[in-house]
Amino acid sequence: MRARGMTWALGAAAAVATLFAGVPAYADDANNNFYEIETKYIFGFTEGSGIGLEGEKEFSPETVINFGKRDGRYAVSETKFEYEFTPNQYIQIELGPLASYYNIRNVTGLDDMNAVKWSGFFTELRYLLFDRGTNQPLAVTLSVEPEWHAFDETSGARVVNYGLEMKVNADLELVPNRLYLGANTLYEPETTRADLGVWDRESTLGQSLAIAYRVRPDVTIGAEAWYLRHYDGMFFNSFTGDAVYVGPTLYVQLATKAFMTAAWNTQIAGHEVGVGTLDLTDFSRNRVKVKFALEF
Amino acid sequence: MIWIVGRRAAVAALVGVALMVVGSRAQAQDAVVHITVKNHRFEPATPRAPANRPITIRVRNEDSAPMEFESVRLRVEKVVPANSEGVINVRALSPGRYEFFDDFHKQTRGTLVVE
Repeated sequence: MRARGMTWALGAAAAVATLFAGVPAYADDANNNFYEIETKYIFGFTEGSGIGLEGEKEFSPETVINFGKRDGRYAVSETKFEYEFTPNQYIQIELGPLASYYNIRNVTGLDDMNAVKWSGFFTELRYLLFDRGTNQPLAVTLSVEPEWHAFDETSGARVVNYGLEMKVNADLELVPNRLYLGANTLYEPETTRADLGVWDRESTLGQSLAIAYRVRPDVTIGAEAWYLRHYDGMFFNSFTGDAVYVGPTLYVQLATKAFMTAAWNTQIAGHEVGVGTLDLTDFSRNRVKVKFALEF
Repeated sequence: MIWIVGRRAAVAALVGVALMVVGSRAQAQDAVVHITVKNHRFEPATPRAPANRPITIRVRNEDSAPMEFESVRLRVEKVVPANSEGVINVRALSPGRYEFFDDFHKQTRGTLVVE
């Protein structure tokens, strides 16, 4: 597994190096075409501060696939069918249904399952707290995302789940229109009622750091790292495990009103209380995010 | 009794907020910026506006094709049909340079200078 991870890392590094190698020749022709961009989706799982433009609407399916547990075969995806709009120059609103695919076999503690389900609904409110200015490269947005799930995100079991993901999304423009640093601080309390009728409470705390570089006017690549901690209880009552993810990110402007973004995170360190290295109960070994968006 | 007092307080608060809004609008009249698009060029390409006041940008498109006035930093976009005018309201801005462009013709660009 370690050898496969090393091969993958070398492959990713080679791909990034190839992209960078092509930069100088292209940059000579297109250096004047690096105009301002929206930073919300350029950092992978980390979200930038962008809230869109007043009057802008967007539809985007966004899929996150978690795969790899300690044993067996595990691949679970969740797709947000997201409608997003910006009613004024400070606020952005998103909402939409969620669909999940579960492919689970021989994973300790989980029932086997191969199913597609409409799994819930989400909304998100984003508020631009601190705007970037000519001599001020930092921008900060606060986001609140209430979610309802009818099926457990990890196991696919029928539940009633309510979550509230709260994030501080910050980004810093290091080189105008070219190089950006992003960071998220995450707190997500959840409550879940399973078939026994008892409400279980849990919470996740997280911090990310990401860097994104525009190699071409329409292509941004980067890397990010996430540190996540999971607790039983809403307010960090009992620590159950933590995980460190790292991985590459990609953002491509496909057309004037269309873009895609992708990210791959691998858990490289972590600890599960009472088990050992890596937390593969609360988190997966790998996670991938793919999003296509159409603005109108 | 408590309900009546609460209702009066709510009405007073609403009136207060309305007066504040009207007052602030009266104090901070929108600055108006006129921009013309002709032959896929902005004229003027670097209009100026005062800082810390709401701005109304009136974009007159004199081309025979539609254009979309857009700016990431101003956080606005508006389609302006051929031979017509679009009005864009922008919040009060701090001093600086704010790029804008025609999203249908990316090379058509300008900069709003706020000072």
